[in-house]
Amino acid sequence: MTSPAARTAAPVIDLEGLHKSYDTGGAQVHALRGIDLRIDRGELVSVMGPSGSGKTTLMEIVGCLSEPTQGRFLLNGRDVRGIEPDALAAVRGEEIGFVFQSFNLLPRLSVAENVELPLSYRGVSRRERRERALEALARVGLAHRGRHRPSEISGGERQRAAVARALVNEPSLLLADEPTGNLDTATGDEILALLFATHAEGNTVVIVTHDPHIGKRAPRRLTLRDGLLDGDGSP
Amino acid sequence: MIREAVVQALRLLWAHRMRSLLTTFGLVWGTASVIFLVGWGEGARLTMEDGFFRAGRNMGEVWAGKVGEDFSPAVDRRFLWFGMQDVEALRQRARLPDLVGAEAWEMLPATFGQRALNLDVRGMDPEAVAIRGVGVTAGRTLSAADVQRRRRVALLGEKARRRLLGPEGRLGDRIRIAGKPFEVIGFLEPVGTQLSRDRMEIDDQVWVPITTVQLNWPSWWTDDAVVTKVIYRIPDPRLLDASKLEVRAILADQLGVDSDDTEAVGIWSALDRLNQLPTQQSRGMLFILAATTLLVGGIGVLNMMLDAVHERRPEIGVRLAVGARRRDIIAQFFVETATICGLGGIVGAILGVGACLLLAHLPMPDLVPIPVLRPGIVVTALVVLAVVGVASGVVPAWRAARVDPALTLRMD
Repeated sequence: MTSPAARTAAPVIDLEGLHKSYDTGGAQVHALRGIDLRIDRGELVSVMGPSGSGKTTLMEIVGCLSEPTQGRFLLNGRDVRGIEPDALAAVRGEEIGFVFQSFNLLPRLSVAENVELPLSYRGVSRRERRERALEALARVGLAHRGRHRPSEISGGERQRAAVARALVNEPSLLLADEPTGNLDTATGDEILALLFATHAEGNTVVIVTHDPHIGKRAPRRLTLRDGLLDGDGSP
Repeated sequence: MIREAVVQALRLLWAHRMRSLLTTFGLVWGTASVIFLVGWGEGARLTMEDGFFRAGRNMGEVWAGKVGEDFSPAVDRRFLWFGMQDVEALRQRARLPDLVGAEAWEMLPATFGQRALNLDVRGMDPEAVAIRGVGVTAGRTLSAADVQRRRRVALLGEKARRRLLGPEGRLGDRIRIAGKPFEVIGFLEPVGTQLSRDRMEIDDQVWVPITTVQLNWPSWWTDDAVVTKVIYRIPDPRLLDASKLEVRAILADQLGVDSDDTEAVGIWSALDRLNQLPTQQSRGMLFILAATTLLVGGIGVLNMMLDAVHERRPEIGVRLAVGARRRDIIAQFFVETATICGLGGIVGAILGVGACLLLAHLPMPDLVPIPVLRPGIVVTALVVLAVVGVASGVVPAWRAARVDPALTLRMD
């Protein structure tokens, strides 16, 4: 756990000379080729770039789902390289909330149970889990859908539920990977509004997207090309 | 966490009802087989024991033969016989047997009214009656006074009673044995088929006081009161070999022959025969057979869980992304497998126990083994099931924990 003081002082994300390469059947693929990046607390950043530019790889590393091959990555001032997998899981559970393109709600769990999931791995009591899940669902306007199965609600509602799941832990970083990719424009706008509202509450939000529309609206836009940072600034 | 995993497992089973039914069938059948077959093996052993012990439990039977070739010149192979003094000596000196009895037998014609047949007439002393362990269904058994006073009283075996007295026969009837009148004082309880017997089965015998036989039908070669067979009982079957040595030594001494002469003093026991039977091996075979069935059931579960892990990689990825540790994932899949095995085990145990109970309540012919239900057998089945369950849970859980969340969540 990072102390509240460190949280405020250090940038949420601090990357220096970040490289990532994969070994795909003998051939080395260099997905990231030296990224320097700093994202401060309370920022809303969009990450854009064509397919294969390294966006997803960058998100995976920032989301502590995979490790860089080379370079430095500080999350809230803490070096997360070389941390044991289980400790890394705890970091993910505490610091990061994920929103995926295809929602990734577990079909056999109810909406509320899906939202509870991150809490269940932190040893939170059942009662408190339920309360906090309902609170998070209320924040995204889905308080009435808690008992439904994901298959019983609309795509937009599913993504709202996913946002609620990402927020339930009050993470220091919300990572959204193509959050509107599977939604129609109107619903996508709703989700976007939800993410912007989350940002307005003081959360750090990083949105990976193909959608130039989102890129334009974000206060800060990063562009990746061939594993390198090609642009960083306001749109 | 465990509760959630159990619920998850039940939902999974319900979601794929047909597959679950087919998969858990192997476990159900395997568990039921272990309980049924091991119980049946135990039942078969008990049936054998029962069959061999019907003419006396933990009993040694001793007869006098003739002096063995190795112990005497061939021309002087004396015939030997026991007398009551030998039985008395054995009672006095032997320490291993807890009871020593004497029997004197004759095949004699018996009559009642118009009926006549040849019967196995056994002169018994009260100790012999006690060793044989057959009670009476009506009347009384032979007493010491009957023996002492050489009374002409008779106990009839089940079949002997039916064949000689017919349906109208009752206690107090007078029968004639070789022309001499005897009073029927009791009926022996039915014994049934014996797996070990001498001459006729007990159901076909007539028991009278040993002294009565010795008085009325003395042997033509001696004035002694001859004992056809000395029988003795040991408190523990493991004492059999030691008791044979002791009994032979004492009786050989009485007869004046060598204590190693097994031809002069022959000793036989149904225990020998029982111990030669491959009951232990057959039980082992049945157990292996049933456990293998359970193992095959476990392979079915292993297959289903491997399938489930493959299908649910996205779910595992999500769980890892929201903070699940590898050991949470391992625990989850392990508990799921355990739940499936537990369900199969419970249903199988109910089936196996039910089959045992059902057979125990069906009418069966004499000496047909009936499966025995012992808590130990059910526990054994569940232990085997647990081993199979753990074995079939390890690989899927390990695979699940190795899922790369980045790979399963990747969308590009």
